[in-house]
Amino acid sequence: MTLLRRLRRRFRALAFRRDVERELADELQLHIELEQEKNERLGMSPDEARRSALVTFGGVERYKEEARDVRGVRFVEVIAQDLRYALRTMRKTPAFTAVVILTLGLGVGATSAIFSIVNAVLLRPLPYDNEASLVRVYSAPPGDRMPKFSVSVPDYLDFKARNRVFADMAMWLNSTMTLSGGGEPERLSAIVSSDNLFSVMGVRPLYGRLFLPGESEHPDGVVLSYGVFARRFGSDSTLIGRRITLNGTAKTVIGVLPPSFRLYTRDIDVVAPVAVSQIPKYNQRPNHLLRVIGRLRPGVTVAEAQRDIRRVAADLATEYARDNEGWKANVFTVRNEIVGDLTRPLMILLTASGLVLLIACINVANLQLTRSAGRGRELAVRRALGAGRGRLVAQMLSESLAYALLGGALGVALGVLGTRALVALAPAGINRLDEVSLDTRVFGFAMVVALFTGLLFGLWPALRSSDPHIGGALRDGGRGSAGTIHAWRVRGALVIAELSLALTILVGAGLVLQSFRKIVDLDLGIGVDNAVALRLTLSGRYQDSTIAPFYARLQRELLAVPGITGVSASDRAPTQANATSTDIRLLERPEANVAGTLMSQVSVVVPDYFRTMGMKLLAGRDIAWQEPQNVAVVNEAAATKFWPGSSALGKHVVFGRRSTDSGVVIVGVVSNVRRGDITSPEEPMVYLPVANAASFGRTMMLVVRGSLGTTATVNAAKRVLAGLDPTLPVYDVRTVQEIVDDVVAQPRLNATLLGAFAALALLLAAVGIYGVIAHSVTQRRQEIGVRVALGAQPADVFRLVVRQGAVLAAAGLAIGLVASWLLTPVLRSWLYEIEPSDPLTYAGVAIVLGAIALAATAIPARRATKVDPVLAMRAE
Amino acid sequence: MPVESNDVLQGTLDMLILKALSLQAMHGWGVAQRIQQISSNVLQVNQGSLYPALHRLEDRGWIEAEWGTSENNRKAKFYRLTKDGERQLSTEAASWRRFATAIEAVMSTT
Repeated sequence: MTLLRRLRRRFRALAFRRDVERELADELQLHIELEQEKNERLGMSPDEARRSALVTFGGVERYKEEARDVRGVRFVEVIAQDLRYALRTMRKTPAFTAVVILTLGLGVGATSAIFSIVNAVLLRPLPYDNEASLVRVYSAPPGDRMPKFSVSVPDYLDFKARNRVFADMAMWLNSTMTLSGGGEPERLSAIVSSDNLFSVMGVRPLYGRLFLPGESEHPDGVVLSYGVFARRFGSDSTLIGRRITLNGTAKTVIGVLPPSFRLYTRDIDVVAPVAVSQIPKYNQRPNHLLRVIGRLRPGVTVAEAQRDIRRVAADLATEYARDNEGWKANVFTVRNEIVGDLTRPLMILLTASGLVLLIACINVANLQLTRSAGRGRELAVRRALGAGRGRLVAQMLSESLAYALLGGALGVALGVLGTRALVALAPAGINRLDEVSLDTRVFGFAMVVALFTGLLFGLWPALRSSDPHIGGALRDGGRGSAGTIHAWRVRGALVIAELSLALTILVGAGLVLQSFRKIVDLDLGIGVDNAVALRLTLSGRYQDSTIAPFYARLQRELLAVPGITGVSASDRAPTQANATSTDIRLLERPEANVAGTLMSQVSVVVPDYFRTMGMKLLAGRDIAWQEPQNVAVVNEAAATKFWPGSSALGKHVVFGRRSTDSGVVIVGVVSNVRRGDITSPEEPMVYLPVANAASFGRTMMLVVRGSLGTTATVNAAKRVLAGLDPTLPVYDVRTVQEIVDDVVAQPRLNATLLGAFAALALLLAAVGIYGVIAHSVTQRRQEIGVRVALGAQPADVFRLVVRQGAVLAAAGLAIGLVASWLLTPVLRSWLYEIEPSDPLTYAGVAIVLGAIALAATAIPARRATKVDPVLAMRAE
Repeated sequence: MPVESNDVLQGTLDMLILKALSLQAMHGWGVAQRIQQISSNVLQVNQGSLYPALHRLEDRGWIEAEWGTSENNRKAKFYRLTKDGERQLSTEAASWRRFATAIEAVMSTT
């Protein structure tokens, strides 16, 4: 009962605040009237009676306040009142409010956008059961150069049988399959795996079932990805049990994988089971084909697993010394596999955005501090009227909180947009980036940052401004007292900190931007204009002997199309580097043939490739369609490395360590092409004609150059291809320019982001120094007036103010330069042909920031020269 | 705020209000007059402080309020003792008597 009544009273107090307030006022009013009447009856004059009544009553407002406290909803009312007051204050100072909210919003926005990416890529759990115990197992060839080498079938079986740490181990091979029947033929990315792959990974089917133990012995069923299931079969769940045609063979669909399934970087379309005995050359240890994944036993650490698998590898190296000597094995967590490369870049970006947020917070603190100093008199008046110290602190805090909340809201909005922009900017191939969204955790992070910032910059000025020396503040308006000098020092220190942080970001961005420009300006060694590339895969219908004639006919017919000037093909994209190299021997230089020391990349090309790609023939000739013997063309890097001091032409290269054939004879040398991340020079490369390496020519990237324009060129190529073989899947159609752009996408993203952060930091720092100097000019109006009255010229006044800013700027720059010098080595992996301590960058950035800081100072300085001494001195 | 010497002891104000209201329902000014009157002007109630106390007692459910008309037909808030309030009054009165007796005993021992 009592509780209910109280709740009702409290609700009434909140919901009908006005009524309750009026009743209270009425009640007290009546009391005073009655007392006054009593006094009049006692013979006082009306005025005297009223005065006496009021004196007897005591402080009306004070007792009202106490009576309100009784309602028990004071704190809610106080907060509401404070927030209302804060909003009113904001409306009164729109410029200040806009600067604070924008500053916070940009800081929070940048941070939360970056954090969204970090969250999606680094923090969010992978879609596997108990991912911590899921590891990849690799072989490692002698010499520690390649810690992640595929595993041979016999090694895999021995790893599996002899280890003591794995609950189970599974393997797969990457493959492609052509899906035909019902629409255009489509090339699917596929894997063939042991039948326990899904049970090791802990994946459950969306529909149907996954592989059963022993299923790989009679493989008929296949499992489809959700992507193919939805795209090609319209998400029709009756597909389970039906038969589809893969590589010309009928297979039964037994299950569909969940949409979240992903096998590392590869989006898999179809999975088929395979028994090890069906893998080509499965009993040969040098034949490293398999990708191996394992599930650790409970409680086993990755380090223990690594030790155990190395023990097995060492045993194998002794037992099978002929093939395995020097070979080791490695274990990596799946998380490391997926996230590994990105940890550092994302951490750099996170740090940069954190610094920007820090600058934003410093700025807001500074602005708030500056303003609260200007409000000293207002606060003193409010204290004198009876507002408690706690009440004032609460008031200032709720103001800060209001700013923080609005800034945070803007930040989240900017964060959503920024995240989208980042995803759009990001290069293809960043894992899990498609999963980026602003989820609740990210939102929470941004809000916590905003709130924390609010408290941080709100509390300190609030405590300072509620300093108990009311009298002093009332007398001089908070100007000229020791407290003000202290506040000036703090603000100066904040500006210095802000400038030095900004400088650090600017130096980092400057270095990365210069690296990016150097990368973009690199001569790739190929011509990118007017060329399109498309991939095609020849199905099993083509014998090795018919592959080369197919390309010959394709080239002939395409070149017959008017406007097409070059047609060729290669087994890789123009700038693609091969992950693996091949052992070679040099017939003419037996002394160089130390095992494992000579390696070369190998590429298969169709004749006329070098001219079509715009590469330069440096010596000899191109490969022809008809060759009397096995020939090859090498790049410049191979020619100088393998045959230093002599011509490569006529020399012989033999592939494989033990092969006994006479190899290929070099007929030409072509210029190097930048491959991979294009920042390192090309490794030795041997180009083989497709006629002699037909089995590598099944999947080729066709390059067509012409003056028709992209669409017409692609259409011509597709038309000719369809005329040759309508079942041929053509995919991955891009211009060569786009392929090259993709290569520089990562550096471009890095440069863009850091550049954006740097611009933001610059802007915020400029606002910061401007705010402090402008405030100081306002505070010193009277002093300046006196100086002018005593004969100071405008130039003197200008110098006086600018000097103040210049001192701050110089200190900030000096600290910033040292901080940059300490921090920028972190960026080294992002830098290309520029040192982290590049003096030109440091000097340039310092000059830019210094100039902007001085420009920001000059605005209030100009205002100071306009001070009218008469007005300034009379103002008080 | 310095405590005035003729202020009613903190804590006893509630009891005095309850006592005053136990005779009849009345408004705030009436309560002040009554306390002064009964105590023969010895107890000077700080009139303003009456209202927070009245609101507090109302919140606790010891008194309840109702709007009515006062002298000269003016709208006034009348307070009345509740059953809980009566109980509270007798409890406080008893403990006050014990307290007063104790003080008296101490003061009279010389």
